[in-house]
Amino acid sequence: MARSWSTMEDFEAFLDGGGLVEVDDDMPQPYRQAVFSFIEMHANSELMGGLTERDWIPKTPGLRHKMAVLAKTQDEIGHGHLLYMVAADLGVKTRAQMLEDLFAGRSRFHNVFHYRAVTWGDQVAIAFLVDAAALISQQAVFKNCSYGPYKRILLRIIAEEGFHMRLGEDRMMRIAEGTGPQRRMFQESLDRWFWPALQLFGPDSKPDDVLLRWHIKSERNEVLRDRWVQKFVPMLQSYGFTIPAPELSYDAEARRWDVGPIDWEPLERTLAQGGPDSARRIREAADNWSRTSWVRAAMSNGTAA
Amino acid sequence: MPATASEPRGVREYLLAFADDEHLMGQQHTEWIGVAPFLEEDLAFSSIGQDELGHAALLYELILDLEGTEPTDTAVDSLAFGRPSEGYRCCHLVEFTTRDWAEALVRHWIYDTFEEMRWRLVAGSSRPQLAAIARKALQEEAFHRRHADALLDKLLASPEARERILEAFETVGPLAGGLCEPVVGEAEVIDEGVAAASTGSLLEPLQQAIGQRFGYWDSIGSPAADSQDGRTVRSADFEPLLARMREVLDYDPEAVW
Repeated sequence: MARSWSTMEDFEAFLDGGGLVEVDDDMPQPYRQAVFSFIEMHANSELMGGLTERDWIPKTPGLRHKMAVLAKTQDEIGHGHLLYMVAADLGVKTRAQMLEDLFAGRSRFHNVFHYRAVTWGDQVAIAFLVDAAALISQQAVFKNCSYGPYKRILLRIIAEEGFHMRLGEDRMMRIAEGTGPQRRMFQESLDRWFWPALQLFGPDSKPDDVLLRWHIKSERNEVLRDRWVQKFVPMLQSYGFTIPAPELSYDAEARRWDVGPIDWEPLERTLAQGGPDSARRIREAADNWSRTSWVRAAMSNGTAA
Repeated sequence: MPATASEPRGVREYLLAFADDEHLMGQQHTEWIGVAPFLEEDLAFSSIGQDELGHAALLYELILDLEGTEPTDTAVDSLAFGRPSEGYRCCHLVEFTTRDWAEALVRHWIYDTFEEMRWRLVAGSSRPQLAAIARKALQEEAFHRRHADALLDKLLASPEARERILEAFETVGPLAGGLCEPVVGEAEVIDEGVAAASTGSLLEPLQQAIGQRFGYWDSIGSPAADSQDGRTVRSADFEPLLARMREVLDYDPEAVW
């Protein structure tokens, strides 16, 4: 049964008490909008992530390897599919409107998908570093997420993302133990993808971040980013790769890695659709979408059944 | 049946043509992920692509097994990707580079319609491994067919979409006959009980199915019109496709990915 709250204070007390909001609830409009925007961006990112990977799927080296990569991309697009439905149920935009906005460059997707995968090593770096960053973020959202439908979908997404990260890790290890050209290829990929992957977490959370206050996110950006750094910096080094951070340092007493100052300008550019591959990515997605409009028109035509 | 190095050459050719068709069809589906008209279609094409690549892997394994080679992933990949182009036995339909989603859909329907018939021919094969693969594949092919049919039912009933589909059929349809072209030595396949009937025997039922689906079959002509010469001749689209499939493998032939 739909619930309602007479004041924002009541609603926030409900959230603070661990309450789960459901789609039929009469939730405050600012909360509805915030949850919607968050899920829409997640959905867009799953879809654009699939498009980033699609450039290399046909070139995957190996038959069973290609099946695994196809399955991964199918998962990513499948996540997008589920998330668009959860977002559409909030009644702010339909799925078609969300896709139209995405392809018109009017809505956002994660910074990492504004870059192009230029070698097979990039594909592996994405599966490893980017999927791991996404997984850390999603686990933190899931932990204390106040919007029930999103929390339930995240359970499945996290399980599958864990698979992807392990696939990426397995491929990275093969490369690490592989030939000179393979290792060089991956080092170059690491040079390209380390900082974008790290920036996926965003700058430090603001003290008044409503996403934290409303338990849409449960941990601060800087905490999540640090978790990724502490895990992946030593791991990559243990495989003999170099972290492309000139001011990287290790505090032996605290046993912590510090990557040094972070330049947020590249992230800001991607947020304004001005990343290195934003224009091509959005234009190609829009072109493909418009080229198949005749199919959608025929399928939605009542007389066509 | 135990692995034997004395398997007749025609049997190997037959299985190779089968495997290469599945491999290239699966490969072609990978090109349509993320650019389909609906997210549901992206998901369907990636699922169908995985099925076809899976069939190819099983068939390549069977060939290696019959040769007495251990069918490791490396051996399968070496067979799947490592032959010179004249060593491939695929038909031109699966080599063809489709230019739009309508062509991809029409090919998907034609291929899976044929595929269901071809798997039935080996479902009672004298080679038990092949019969087992066929039983698994037939379950999947039924889904593939249903998927393509459901889309075409809708699209062919809508005037604009019908025009686009039939235009795509004009391009892709003439390559359908090549699916039914046998390899050299196929008679051995029948003699050995590997398949119940020749690949050529599928031409008439395929023509009928295509006629029922698209309304006509005339433009397709005979399989001989498309000069595959026992599937030993590659089309113009094949070399670029193989180069694309091999790009990472060729980057470092010593590497394991």
